[in-house]
Amino acid sequence: MEVNQETIQHLAKLSNFALTDGETTRLVSDIKEIVGYISQLDELNTDGVEPTYQVFEMENVWRPDEILPQEADREQLLALTKETLNYQIKVPKVL
Amino acid sequence: MTKYIPTIGIECHVQLCTKTKLFSEVDNDARLKEPNSCVSPVDYGLPGMLPRLNQEAVKYAVRAGLALNSAINLESRFDRKHYYYPDLPKGYQITQMFHPIIGEGYVELPNGNKVRIEHAHLEEDAGKLSHESGYSLVDLNRAGTPLVEIVSMPDIHSASEARDYTKELWRLMTYAGVTYGDLYNGNMRFDVNISIAEEGSNELGTRTEVKNLNSFRSVERAVEYEVKRQSKLLEKGEKVIQETRGWSDATGETTGQRSKEVAADYRYMPEPDLAPIRLSSEEVEAEKQKLPKMPSWYRSKFHDVLGADLVEVLLDYPQLMSKLAELTSNNAAVKKIANLFSSVLLAEENTSLLNDELPTKEQLLALVEMNEKNELSSTGMKEVFLKFFDPEMHYKDTRTIAKELGVVQENDTEALEAIVDTVLAKPETQKAQEDFKAGQEKVLGFLVGQVMKESKGKANPSSVQEILRSKLS
Repeated sequence: MEVNQETIQHLAKLSNFALTDGETTRLVSDIKEIVGYISQLDELNTDGVEPTYQVFEMENVWRPDEILPQEADREQLLALTKETLNYQIKVPKVL
Repeated sequence: MTKYIPTIGIECHVQLCTKTKLFSEVDNDARLKEPNSCVSPVDYGLPGMLPRLNQEAVKYAVRAGLALNSAINLESRFDRKHYYYPDLPKGYQITQMFHPIIGEGYVELPNGNKVRIEHAHLEEDAGKLSHESGYSLVDLNRAGTPLVEIVSMPDIHSASEARDYTKELWRLMTYAGVTYGDLYNGNMRFDVNISIAEEGSNELGTRTEVKNLNSFRSVERAVEYEVKRQSKLLEKGEKVIQETRGWSDATGETTGQRSKEVAADYRYMPEPDLAPIRLSSEEVEAEKQKLPKMPSWYRSKFHDVLGADLVEVLLDYPQLMSKLAELTSNNAAVKKIANLFSSVLLAEENTSLLNDELPTKEQLLALVEMNEKNELSSTGMKEVFLKFFDPEMHYKDTRTIAKELGVVQENDTEALEAIVDTVLAKPETQKAQEDFKAGQEKVLGFLVGQVMKESKGKANPSSVQEILRSKLS
């Protein structure tokens, strides 16, 4: 997998944040290193091995359908947002 | 002119009516609730929050799958679909991209055609955005509502069939009891993929996707519009562009939505925060047992008694159908009550009564019986039927209501004969009696009317006629 300025800019755009050139350069080298490290796994022969979805062998972790009080209420949660209007979260115009 | 055949596939999002959301323990019924009042830190995607799967939503999905005649995948998993948009604060939607819970199935339309289901999966809904001038507002009440997304194969070939398919899906999901099915509030939303190709051609045309339709009618109209628009383009030698289009009910047109600068790149990955679902065939069987009577059951049960047209009309009202099902041992009753439902209850001025509690089986059977015994005329039957919805009367039994309304017909022959005698003794009926004896049939109507008047409308007119004939012969 090729990691370059373009890859990083593309990912930044998808996540909707702005990167300075300096940050982009630093991320290119960091992510290159991470991908390189992980790529060591490519040396292994995985023919016939099922993909690992999770490392804990759990299944059917679920809860009953009951309403429970939450640890944060409407006002506390809205207070975390930048701006509100009539209890709605106000964001720059999106289409 | 070239004839173009449309090919249509439909994706349908169904909001499940569980008590809580798919991954958090907050109220899932946000109708009439204030914005952002049904939310939790999970719905806000706050750091460190983990999704907690609602078991009931899994069961509902299984039931939805069974209603679609689908295979249920005993093992299913969740995946993340990444996109950045304010309606889903955590930056990805949890869905089932690779291992959906519902496999291949089909929906049979009323015309007998089958639309195959490719698969259906569980996922979370996004929040609701309203666009104002210069800014947008976000309400997260809907974020995290469990959805089943049903993906059809491109088996639909006309606008009316597209409408029939969406309507049938609505019926299947509401009869299965997995959704409120309130289209006005977006409980079911449709994305329609449409392409056209010359008749006889083996290749499909370029498709467009009309998103977020929320009524059967708009599905039908959007398809009609797109088929016309695409046909015109092809006739002019132009090309259809593959794009997403929006629909306006007001203008009756679809319009191309500005293509996003960045092409969709969802970077799907397995959801590490949720364990896989593994169901046993016994659990699936248990859900099958819980599945209520479905439209196909009602169709085969009532087809011969009511006829296909009436069955299709009544199928839009699950509560009426289940009431009729209580009467199935008595075909005559089914027929009379079905006719009352369609002629009285579904009449424009009475549709508000549909929200009320329906009459009991006992009230309905007694009503039919009184009519069969000529104690109630068909008009009287209607009057009593309407009183079943009167808050002052509905708890009373049928005979009491009929008596209070004074619509019980007098069938007691002796009592009737006495009334007839009284009328025949009146001076004003003498001439009519002579005329009748002289062969003037039509004056009988006048005499029957006099007897009805004397009985204050309670006499059974056909019995009166019989008595008059025998007395005047």
